Amino acid sequence: MRPFTRSALRPYVCPSCRSGRLVGRRRFGSKPDQAPDVYDVVCVGGGPAGLGLLAALRASPLTSKLRVALIETQDLQKARAWSLDSQHFSNRVSSLTPSSVSFLKKIGAWEHLDTDRAQEYQEMQVWDGETDSRITFDWSADTSPFENLPTVATMTENANLVRGLLSRIAASGDENISIFSNTTVSSIENGTDHPDGPDLSAWPVLSLAPNGTAQSQLPTRIAARLLVGADGINSPVRRFADIATEGWDYNRHGVVATLSLADPDQVSFPIGTRTAYQRFLPSLGGPVALLPLPNNHATLVWSTTVENAAYLKSLSPKAFIAMVNAAFRLSMTDLKYMMRMERPANSASDYEDLHESELTWRLQHTPQASQVPPMVNGVQEGSVASFPLRFRHASTYISPRVALVGDAAHVIHPLAGQGLNLGMGDVASLSKTIEYAVDHGMDIGDILSLEKYTAERWAVNAKIGGVCDMLHKLYNVPGHGPVAWGRSLGLEIIDRLPFVKGFLMKNAEG
Amino acid sequence: MTNLRPTIRKATSLLRHLNSPHRAHSTSVSADELSHFSSLANSWWDPMGPSRVLHLMNPLRHDFIASCLFDSLPPPRASAPETSTPVNNLRYLDVGCGGGIFAESLARTIPTNANSPSQTVTQAASITAIDPTSALIKIARDHARMDPKVEAHLRDGKFTYKNCTLEDIVASQRETPEDEKFDIVTLFEVLEHVDSNAASSPLAFLTNCLRVLRPGGWLVGSTIARTFPSFLVNQVIAEAPWPIGVVPRGTHEWSKFVNPDELYAWAQEGLMRSQDGASLRAGGDALQGMRWKCSGVMYFPGIGWKLVPGSENWGNYFWAIRKGL
Repeated sequence: MRPFTRSALRPYVCPSCRSGRLVGRRRFGSKPDQAPDVYDVVCVGGGPAGLGLLAALRASPLTSKLRVALIETQDLQKARAWSLDSQHFSNRVSSLTPSSVSFLKKIGAWEHLDTDRAQEYQEMQVWDGETDSRITFDWSADTSPFENLPTVATMTENANLVRGLLSRIAASGDENISIFSNTTVSSIENGTDHPDGPDLSAWPVLSLAPNGTAQSQLPTRIAARLLVGADGINSPVRRFADIATEGWDYNRHGVVATLSLADPDQVSFPIGTRTAYQRFLPSLGGPVALLPLPNNHATLVWSTTVENAAYLKSLSPKAFIAMVNAAFRLSMTDLKYMMRMERPANSASDYEDLHESELTWRLQHTPQASQVPPMVNGVQEGSVASFPLRFRHASTYISPRVALVGDAAHVIHPLAGQGLNLGMGDVASLSKTIEYAVDHGMDIGDILSLEKYTAERWAVNAKIGGVCDMLHKLYNVPGHGPVAWGRSLGLEIIDRLPFVKGFLMKNAEG
Repeated sequence: MTNLRPTIRKATSLLRHLNSPHRAHSTSVSADELSHFSSLANSWWDPMGPSRVLHLMNPLRHDFIASCLFDSLPPPRASAPETSTPVNNLRYLDVGCGGGIFAESLARTIPTNANSPSQTVTQAASITAIDPTSALIKIARDHARMDPKVEAHLRDGKFTYKNCTLEDIVASQRETPEDEKFDIVTLFEVLEHVDSNAASSPLAFLTNCLRVLRPGGWLVGSTIARTFPSFLVNQVIAEAPWPIGVVPRGTHEWSKFVNPDELYAWAQEGLMRSQDGASLRAGGDALQGMRWKCSGVMYFPGIGWKLVPGSENWGNYFWAIRKGL
């Protein structure tokens, strides 16, 4: 918690001094003067957050007339054309909370998603690999036994979400909207005072450059009434606005993979109920989670040390599957042993895999917990990948004519699957803020209009990011010492107090 | 002879008197207030500056005007073209616009494109904003240029800043037919800065506002009640040193505050006076079709301004008078 506290205790600079300090410093590259094309909202970054904001603005009658632009480095045509068959899934999957889903429904984007590829789950099993204390998250305390269990979250491929949002935006028509895909922002700087026209000296002006293949009729300079940074962890927009960001690297990687499962031993009740599993592995650096996908598939997120991640990625498919099955079943000692096993030099598949036989043997000597996920029996080719886990939080989300959303504002540990949901929450709040400002004749880039957004989101995101960070640290203490005892006691108590659990779940939902 | 007419000036007009050769006539202002308000001019548009509380109140003005229009909409002009879809067609006059906080926000709701099918809640088609202080008008014009949309309205004439007094507008409208006058006249945070003496009175000021309003139109304003709670809130707490106070010391003078019942009486009297002919005095007939609206607002630090019905006598309140058809 130390670095987190430090960010809270940073010396206070009053907001007006901060904005005064900005004027001289706002600069990111440079370009000669010519009259820019003026937009109301310019969004840098075409990920789920940026596209979500655009879709939300296009969906509201108050903001649909705003002149908006989106700039994305990647080719969005590929995202529009993304397609996979029903037995294959992308390895970048997010769990959308019901509030994120209802926001997507509200802006009319949900119907543009391929919902056959999305999987709801109604129950979540979380347990401690060291002490086996367990907590079950579901809404059974809040519902009668005769209704279907409400959803805890919905697993959705990011590519499916992005394609759906693009399709929603396309359905809103092409009036007042420009999407510059395959385009880089080469510089952002303040505009100039045009003596015969407006004074844009406090407006961000972006210089655009096409990526690779040159595009025709691309305006080179566009001015933004409100510049939205949805441009990820290294946000150039954040750098332009000179917004400080605090954080640290966890020195952990998240290993992801798309897996196929064996048929479950027992039929779930009620029929169709799917369960997500997460087991904390304190000795291996983080939790392993198996989240359901349609057609008896699942996505894996295994947060572990960088060395372990490299080891897992180097394994043959059979060995990888054995390690995943082991991660949900074996004791910490067994797992640590298997993580150090020699990899066979020749990965000939006709021999029985060493990891596989090791697992079979060790399972016979391990008492089985009551609720473990079905055995994994396949891994989709090319789906094993890893990404570094980091924590970042910007000191504020706004600056004159600038707002940050999604990863540009905050990056958190993925153990609660909240990252994308926080971004959706940002987008819902920012689009509401813009609506109010437009309705009341306010300048949407003005601090007075935007301060509502940062007030609404900063503390919420800090809280959820902080809880995830705390859980990460709590569940990285190996052995059976007082920390393990304490966290298990806490988990058992929460599991037995339905109202506390309900409160936590509602909080996690944002 | 205009300089002999009773002139009413708002506090924000004080800068003019600093430079004015006619300073001898400015009976409604004291030297203290002069220096106080001139020191505020530079920070007028600083969102974190001394005018912050005023900026925060601005969205509520839009809400209150919308509620007046919801109650009763000024009828379309005889000269107005028939349209199938609702359009913004109301003409606004903002009296004592100061640095333009309200005027600029209203100008932003005027559609750029005349064929725009959407209608905004304030239904503004044009706005004229006046203030007798040239320094403040300059601040307002300079700030308006920082927004291309507002700047475009300044150029196409839908938005006008005029450095003149209300009396100048009254004089220029003497020959204007009733139907061509303003639909909405706004008077935000002005009345409580008007002196009551031989040369000026809030009643005379209100009467002039009603003179430039067309029948069926609304005179909308906001001011502060002169009661014990308002003394406590506005004089003791709001003007307390930082971090408690939110308003610069010396902004308000409690004795000049106006109570809702006084205002209501002035509104009736003003309506009758504004319709006095050269020889014929308008009587109670002038009050036919009049409407009166009043709604208290309160500032909660950290939350902002909220409409609190029934709190009119506690401090700040919005009021509106509809001139009968």
